[in-house]
Parts: sequence; structure tokens; C-alpha cells
Amino acid sequence: MVLVMNGTYDDSAHEDAGHPERPDRVKAAVAGVADLHLDGDLIVVPPYAATRSELARVHDGGYLDELGAFCYEGGGAIDQDTYATFDSWTIAKHAAGGGLAVVEELQRRNDGVGFVAARPPGHHALADRAMGFCLLNNIAVATAALLSQGERVLIVDWDVHHGNGTQAIFWDEPDVLYVSTHEWPLFPGSGSASEVGGRHAFDRTINIPLPAGATGDVVRRALDDVAAPVIDAFSPTWVLVSAGFDGHRADPMADLQLTSGDYAAMAQAVAAFAPRPGRLAMFLEGGYDLAALRSSVRAALGAALGLDDADEGTSSGGPGADNIERIMRERASALEMVRSIDDEESAP
Amino acid sequence: MKSFRTIAVGFDGSDDSEIALRWAVRLAADTGAEVVVVHATGMLEHLDTHFSADKMPTALATIAGEYGVDVQRLHWIVDNGDACSVLLRASEPPVNADLLVVGSRGHGKRPGLLLGSTSLEVTQHATTPVVVVPSNVALH
Repeated sequence: MVLVMNGTYDDSAHEDAGHPERPDRVKAAVAGVADLHLDGDLIVVPPYAATRSELARVHDGGYLDELGAFCYEGGGAIDQDTYATFDSWTIAKHAAGGGLAVVEELQRRNDGVGFVAARPPGHHALADRAMGFCLLNNIAVATAALLSQGERVLIVDWDVHHGNGTQAIFWDEPDVLYVSTHEWPLFPGSGSASEVGGRHAFDRTINIPLPAGATGDVVRRALDDVAAPVIDAFSPTWVLVSAGFDGHRADPMADLQLTSGDYAAMAQAVAAFAPRPGRLAMFLEGGYDLAALRSSVRAALGAALGLDDADEGTSSGGPGADNIERIMRERASALEMVRSIDDEESAP
Repeated sequence: MKSFRTIAVGFDGSDDSEIALRWAVRLAADTGAEVVVVHATGMLEHLDTHFSADKMPTALATIAGEYGVDVQRLHWIVDNGDACSVLLRASEPPVNADLLVVGSRGHGKRPGLLLGSTSLEVTQHATTPVVVVPSNVALH
């Protein structure tokens, strides 16, 4: 069973002609879901506009006011990458509310896998700043809602870009474990292995930066060797995925060499971290080649549901295997540094 | 008050950022400071839809010549990120800028609003002095 938000909300009003972050992306993602032929097992959850109090769990009130006013005055370029239109405020609130709606439906059913097919994406959005095509941090809004209910949330971010916004928002939150695999160097420039979390969230951030050209075997090994032991110790009650598909080899936005088969393998691995059915939801982030996006959504969701439906095999042989040992060393060094600072400050 | 040793100036290819660059180089001529020209590589730049860095060395040499500054004191770095984050990082190692210079409007278009204004966002978050250079500043 899969729960899909969107399909009922027209987001075409948030469109800057020629911009790669465009409404056709959602259509491609929804087509990827349709390709699974789930029939009666497919449940479409209508989105709602996230309320101010739901958004304010992660975003500054002043920023929300500013973004709303900016849109109502007609919008425009926010930075060199990010734009907003008159309707963007409404549409972004529905993207954030779509994640909340999917999570609520999973809770009600205690079954299924959620997929939030919405845009604009969210993982670059900071508490007080839009950037990287992102206005509101959709996965952070859903995570904060779960935290308010006492849950412990694992966020796996496999978008090709580091999710700097999500990392920053939960940097010092001990009940969130943030794991990111991403190409580096690449926008937004953050995401080094030495970033391990704030003092109250020691070892709650895991960054796995990979070189251009890296293939799926390296990503899977990094998840197994670097992340899995920490995830097991964290013991999440929920698993949310920033599911960007711009690491696909056909995507124009970056240079990883992943296939839809790799996304299936990653989804299968991540689904195993969910403690029980109905506790896994994927949020669409990047993915700008429409055919690759459609194929990858089909593969990833299918794998999370236990279906073998990828139309490409897994990839291997790219660079980056050497990085895994280095990542583990850098993390160990950074963790030791934080420990030593804590020891010094707690000494009598 | 100490004089500035390293001036970082944000440059996105816009007219306003070129004015800021020229102002920074003129200040360097007066103070002997190094100038680090910082360009933020955004997501779209991977598609080659924006600014190209290829022309920068020649452009910097020209500007250095105009203000009588040794071109060796002008440095050029490209960093991944949004313009605000990248310029703020310039005040940290390895650049260690002790003055940030930015044009009044870059690619953002909404005067008077924090959103869309790199200059206002930098002034809000910076831990070093910031100069916002207006587009009509006299440079000579």
C-alpha cells in the first residue's frame, strides 16, 4: 500500500518558465507511482495548507511573514537559483501540509509506505531563509510534528545535494538522526564528514560526501558501513526520506552515476530501518530529468513495498570507495574533538 | 582601529556586484589590503545558465590596472552555495576576511525586503563589518 499526496492540487501556478524545478516533475513522479499498478492499494491523500503553527515549529515567524508578503506582491527571484510567484506561498504550504497529511494517514492506518509527491522541494530551506529552489522545509515540518508527539525520527537524505536546511534545523536535536549521502564538492557547499551534530545531538548527523562519478555500490556500502551502526543504536520510531533523484546518471544537475536500480537498493535498505509498517515516508526533493525521475520513483517505491520493479540494474565501479575509510576517520576525529571539549568544560 | 587586511567582495556578474568589486579594489589601493573576489556557484550554474568564471582573470587584471593595484593582491575564489552563505564563509578560515563588501542588489529583485536581498541578509548574519555599496556610488 502506498499513500500519495498530490494528484489533486494544481501546482502549475508556481512555475518560472524554463526553470528546471517545474510542475512537470510532480507529474513525472506521479506517473512513476502509476507505473507500479497498485490499483486498490494506492490511496491518494489530499493535501492541506500547513498552518502557521505547524510551520513555525521549524521556521522563524518573521521569515514566514516575509515569504508570504513577497509572494502576494508578485514574487520574483529570491536568489540566483530560487524563485517565487504570486501563488508560491499557497503552494509551498500545501507541499508542507501534504507531508503532514501523509504522516497522519500512516499513523491512522499503521500500515503502508508514504510518498509525498509535492513541490517545491524543501531540504535546502533554512529556518529563516529560502534557497536552492526550496521555500519551506517540508520534511522538517513533518519531523517536527512527529517530535511533538514524542517520536524519534531518522531522516535519510539521498538527494545529490546536501540538505543543509534540514541539517541546520535539527543540528542540536537529540531525537533526530540526519543521514545524508551527496556529491561533494557541489551546492550548497556544506555536508562534510566532520559535521557530526551539535552538543546536545552528539553523533546525530552523518554526512557521506561522495565524488562526482560515484556509483551505487559506493553509496550502499557507505550506508552499511558508516550509517547503519549509528542508526541501529539510535533506534528510530519513524523513518523519513528526502528522496531526491538527481543523483541519477541522466540528471543534468550533478554528476553521480546512479541508476533506478540503485534507488531501489537504497530504498530497500532504508525501509529496513523502519520499526514497523506505516512508519516510512518518502518526500520528493530533487530530480530534474523527467524520465529518470519517473523510473527512479517507480523503482524506489516499489522496493520499499517489497516489489522488484526497477527497469535498470545497480551500478558499480565508480570512484569513491576510498572515501568511506576517510569519512569514518573524519567522523571519529570530529566526535573525539567534541568529546574533549565537553570533558574540558565539565572538569571541576 | 586596525586597517583591513583582507577584503572579501561578493560577485555574481550583475552590474551592482561589479560596482562593489570596483569599490573594494579602490579601498585596497588606499589601504594595502588583499581583495578576495568571491563567486557563489548555485544549483543552476551546473546547467551553465548563469555566470561564467572564465573571463574573471582578465577582468580582474583590468580593474587592478585601473586603480593601480598589483594584480597579485586580487584573488578569485569560487565556492558552492548561495551568495549569502558563501560570502559569510569568507570571514572564516581559510579566507579570514575582516571586511565583507556587497552590492546593494544582486539577482534578487525586491528592494526593501529582506527576502531576495543578499546585502540585507549578509548584514543581518555577518560577524565582521559589512559595506553595502549603492549602485550610484562615485568611484573616481
